[in-house]
Amino acid sequence: MNIDNTQSQMRKGVLEFCILSVIRQGEVYPSDIVEKMKAANLNILEGTLYPLLTRLKNADFLTYRWVESNSGPPRKYFCMTEKGLAFYAELEATWNELANAVNELTGRGEQNNNS
Amino acid sequence: MKKVININFQGRVTPIEETAYDMLTKYVESLRVFFANEEGRDEIINDIEGRIAELFGEILKKGNTCIVESDVQTIISSMGRPEDFEAEEGNLHSQLGGEKSEEKKSYQQAYNASGNKKLFRNETNKVFGGVCAGIADYFGIDTLIVRILFILFGGLTFWIYFILWIAVPATSSQVIGSQRKRLFRDPDNKLIAGVCSGLAQYFGVQVWIPRVLFLIPFFSFVFQWGHWGWWDFPNFLSFSFSPGSLFIYIIFWLVLPEAKSAADKLEMKGEKVDLNNIKSTIQGDMEGFKDRAKVFGNEIKEKAQEFGDNFTKSTNRFASEATTVARSSGGGIGRAIAMIVKVFVYFILGSLLFGLVAALFGVGVAFTGLLPAYSYVLDEGFQKLLSWGALIFFVWVPVIAVVTWIIRRLTGKRGNSGIIKLTFAGLWILGWICFINLIITLRNEFRYRNYPTEQTVSIANPAVNKLEIKTAPFGKYYTGSWLRMEPFASFDEDTVYVRNIRLRIVKSDNDSFKVVMVKMANASTKTDAERIANRINFSAVQKDSVLMLDRGISITRQEKFRNQQVIITVAVPVGKRILVNDNVGWGNDVRVDFGRNDDYWDWENSDDAKTYDWDRNVEYIMTAKGLERVNKDFNDENDGNNDEDEDSRRNALDQFRKSKDQLRKEMEQKQKELEQLNKELQAPADSTLYHYNQPPQEPTQKKDKAVTKTSGENAPNGMNDTAVMKYAL
Repeated sequence: MNIDNTQSQMRKGVLEFCILSVIRQGEVYPSDIVEKMKAANLNILEGTLYPLLTRLKNADFLTYRWVESNSGPPRKYFCMTEKGLAFYAELEATWNELANAVNELTGRGEQNNNS
Repeated sequence: MKKVININFQGRVTPIEETAYDMLTKYVESLRVFFANEEGRDEIINDIEGRIAELFGEILKKGNTCIVESDVQTIISSMGRPEDFEAEEGNLHSQLGGEKSEEKKSYQQAYNASGNKKLFRNETNKVFGGVCAGIADYFGIDTLIVRILFILFGGLTFWIYFILWIAVPATSSQVIGSQRKRLFRDPDNKLIAGVCSGLAQYFGVQVWIPRVLFLIPFFSFVFQWGHWGWWDFPNFLSFSFSPGSLFIYIIFWLVLPEAKSAADKLEMKGEKVDLNNIKSTIQGDMEGFKDRAKVFGNEIKEKAQEFGDNFTKSTNRFASEATTVARSSGGGIGRAIAMIVKVFVYFILGSLLFGLVAALFGVGVAFTGLLPAYSYVLDEGFQKLLSWGALIFFVWVPVIAVVTWIIRRLTGKRGNSGIIKLTFAGLWILGWICFINLIITLRNEFRYRNYPTEQTVSIANPAVNKLEIKTAPFGKYYTGSWLRMEPFASFDEDTVYVRNIRLRIVKSDNDSFKVVMVKMANASTKTDAERIANRINFSAVQKDSVLMLDRGISITRQEKFRNQQVIITVAVPVGKRILVNDNVGWGNDVRVDFGRNDDYWDWENSDDAKTYDWDRNVEYIMTAKGLERVNKDFNDENDGNNDEDEDSRRNALDQFRKSKDQLRKEMEQKQKELEQLNKELQAPADSTLYHYNQPPQEPTQKKDKAVTKTSGENAPNGMNDTAVMKYAL
């Protein structure tokens, strides 16, 4: 087991969840997602983001609209569908369970409670 | 100095250096290859191109005259190369070290040669390894055609397939998000250690395939292990495999890690590891656990019913306990010991189970083999129906049930087993009913026995010195039947020969041999029993010093087998000899009565006078005390294993005697000829008429004589000949 691998596995698992949570906050352009995630210290390649978005869109979790841009070709702005919101809610529940479980196991929850 | 060209990129005229352009096209092409099997590939690439165009626009806005190589490089590194996606999406398999670089290489090759067609195994449209589908893709023909061709050519293509499976890379390595699989032991779907299930997951085949492959050589080992009595199983299952599969299994068990975490399991199945999948896997785990707990509880309730199942279960539990104990003790040695114990337990269990199935199967085959005999015992109609019911439901249903159970275990199916169990149980109860009814009706048919009456068999010459008992030659009836069933000796077209014959040898009260026959039979009424007994056709004929008996009691389909029985009592006078020939087929039932009073003979119990030191093919002499061997010293000297010697010696003696007889006969014949020749020589002196009257007759007569001589006719005929001749003279 090497550490990089474990880390990337952990990141990978929550990637979709993070992307969806960014889109949920409002209509967004893919490179904005990358920026936001970078700001939160979660690096993602745009090359991986586009296929993920396309897949989520094909699964009817996302929809997009074309917006004219002055600096290049028209841009795709993504936003959530109803189905996407439900999906996100489920993921959120799972995440909370997982986070609680992990916190409890690692003992961080108590520290947080104490402080 | 570099050449700058203008390109139309995403609807915009973009000035770009030629080298930068080459880099860009290569990059886009690599993306195309990478997303080759991704749904919405064009859209993804379009999005990426759009983004790149936007970035180009930003660069040009800053005042740059054209796009240079370094710009493209920055953009590509921010977008990410396919290798980076791979690293980000699925570097789980980087654990496998070397294999990852290998995969990269194969990818690189595919990328470099992206213009040409390449052979891949098609993972999305596969049955086993996707080889056929890959070939079909490559040549652009229907997959079905390739599959049919592969099946048609049989054995050789099996190996070709196998080699291609190993050698040809799978398309899945180019599909985004799909993971390289890892070989794990699968704890969720295991019978022993989950090796087979893990292998099945790895190769993406049904779980029973590796299981059967592991079991076949194991079975062949069981087959070679020992002979199953008269039922020697044909060798069709012993392939050139050896019990080595057991060791391969153990090695896999030792080497392969168990898929413990959800991520491990996803890797094992080659599924993408993300939050969603982890969730569904964990849910599946929980449900599976619940199911198992439920099944387990049910099975405890049905403990009595499912003996075999529980037996394995308990050993399972025992084995797992042993393992956990060993684990808690922490020693690798403890674990190894526990595993060896486990292996042995499973091995023994497997052998036992297999033995059980084999025995059941043997019983089934035996009863089915007896089918032709049924009509000799059972009435047409109701009884026959019962017998069929008993055969199918009582004998075969448990066989099928056990085999079904094993197959279900192997394939790991657990659903609606309750219905199947109930069905089998119901059918078996029906079988029991048929069986019991059959026994009752048959018992009724055999209830009464006739009163044994003695019939004296008139023999031609009761005053012979020695009586030899033989049975009619074997060739008269069918022999060498593949299935021999006592008491049915052999079958004919519509007759069966039953060897229900006993031979008793007792002391005669006068000085002549006496043969007494008692016929017995069973039936539902006493009179019927008498009738059937009287119908028994059994002959005992004396020829010189030989008493010839039938080989069996013949029974036709109409008469039915009703335990017909014949007891032959031979009374031997004191001082005379008796010999029972080896060819008396039913001869195990020879009983010798040492001078007991006949009146006390118990017809029902035949064991009272059984003598165990009785030998066949040995001459006995009746004395006042009872039977004694004629050649006592000889037999005392070499007891037991001298039969063959004795036989050969007797044969030699017989031959010698025979040749002596023949010689004597020949001598007599020669003497007669001599006399005749003498007469012929004397004849011309007596009369000359002879030559005139009988010239044509003489040569023919001589010829006749010659014929009789060479054909070895016996003495009386020869005498007749001479008598005729005398008359003619």
